[in-house]
Amino acid sequence: MSSDFETYELDFGTLTADITNKIGRIPKLAGEEKTQLVLNVDKQLEEVRELLEQMDLEVREIPIQSRGMYSSRLKSYKQEMEKLEKDFKRSRIAYSDEVRNELLGDDASSSESQRAHLLDNTERLERSSRRLEAGYQIAVETEQVGQEILTNLHSDREKIQRSRDRLRETDANLGKSSRILTSMLRRIIQNRILVFILGAIILLTIILAMYFNLRGH
Amino acid sequence: MDNSGKEKEAMQLMAEADKKVKSSGSFLGGMFGGNHKVEDACEMYARAANMFKMAKNWSAAGSAFCQAARLHMQMQNKLDSATSFVDAGNAYKKADPQEAINCLNAAIDIYTDMGRFTIAAKHHMTIAEIYESELVDIEKAIAHYEQAADYYKGEESNSSANKCLLKVGSYSAQLEQYPKAIEIFEQVATSTMDNPLLKYNAKEYFWKAALCHFIVDELNAKLAIEKYEGMFPAFSDSRECKLLKKLLEAHEEQNNEAFTEAVKEFDSISRLDQWQTTMLLRIKKTIQGDAGDLK
Repeated sequence: MSSDFETYELDFGTLTADITNKIGRIPKLAGEEKTQLVLNVDKQLEEVRELLEQMDLEVREIPIQSRGMYSSRLKSYKQEMEKLEKDFKRSRIAYSDEVRNELLGDDASSSESQRAHLLDNTERLERSSRRLEAGYQIAVETEQVGQEILTNLHSDREKIQRSRDRLRETDANLGKSSRILTSMLRRIIQNRILVFILGAIILLTIILAMYFNLRGH
Repeated sequence: MDNSGKEKEAMQLMAEADKKVKSSGSFLGGMFGGNHKVEDACEMYARAANMFKMAKNWSAAGSAFCQAARLHMQMQNKLDSATSFVDAGNAYKKADPQEAINCLNAAIDIYTDMGRFTIAAKHHMTIAEIYESELVDIEKAIAHYEQAADYYKGEESNSSANKCLLKVGSYSAQLEQYPKAIEIFEQVATSTMDNPLLKYNAKEYFWKAALCHFIVDELNAKLAIEKYEGMFPAFSDSRECKLLKKLLEAHEEQNNEAFTEAVKEFDSISRLDQWQTTMLLRIKKTIQGDAGDLK
């Protein structure tokens, strides 16, 4: 029984190797060859499936004690087959390098263009890092200028405050001086009135004295 | 503007003014119109001086202003006298710095007498600047800057005081009076730390103080940097602090190249000014000196 299983395993191995090979080749081909190869792989996948079914029946005939190893092997084979099917599907729609090269020019120039690309990128990086440095320098200079301006502003602020206080003092002093002047004016007027009154009294006294003198004669 | 003509006119006015002053000296003149004549003479001196200024004859203008100032003092016009002395100082600045300093000193005496300390401080600064630039006498300049700073502090203008103190600090460090410089820089830095307008300057002052510490002794510098970082956390972020740490390492290892490289890196981003380069050069020499001793 198990020898059957082993022959099936061997067949499975060869078939899967063949299929993988063919799957690898499919993207590179085109047209007639491709369709033929595709049909080929399809047929082989069918065979693999049949093999797996037979392996399954074999495993069921084995007594339960020793079934474990064979069933795990079977599971892994099944998984491999599923992977092959997926790869097959993908390969049928995959683009190959050949097609790309046909579109973009021949093989020899691709490495050169890569080198040019790399050099370009390095240069761009260097340029940007130089610009960053310059920007940083400008930022630092701006900070220093800002510092100076702030100091100047601070000292101007103090000067303005002082001038404002002095102005208020001057204002108060001017008010005081104008009051003093008004009082001086008042006193002058008073004095003048007094002088006039006294002058008038003296005049009157002189006139009266003369009058009495003449009358006395 | 016929300048030579102005000059002749000015000389004429001076002669007239001299005559008036002399005539007022005689007894009769003094009785009747002495004061009036002296005032006229003052005014004529001032006009003559202005004309000399127009003719760019600075020393003659200065002397005319000085004469006017002395006459004002005679008439007890202190304020006018002081202003005339200041004008004389300005005129002499361009011709004869020493005379300018004399005139300005006289003006300062009058102002301090009257109690106007702010303006006296400003003139101290002017004198210090003259010493700095024309007569190159750093010691006297330092003395005047200190005096100015004291007066400013007395009048509560801390910004102007700080400005003067900084100059004192830089010059003292240049003259190798390091303890004084360190004290001044630390003082200024602590006072600006709290002010929101000025705190961006504080790190620069800490950097200068640390440089001075470094020249004196390396251990000092380390302790100082830790102290400053504790006081002012933003200092540790600054590039100057990072440079200091690198320099300390280079100094410990006596590694000249690492030192130069660190300095070059810093310089490539923001140039070092004259004072800082001098200090760093001194530090570098101590490294080389130590290496020389070891040989």
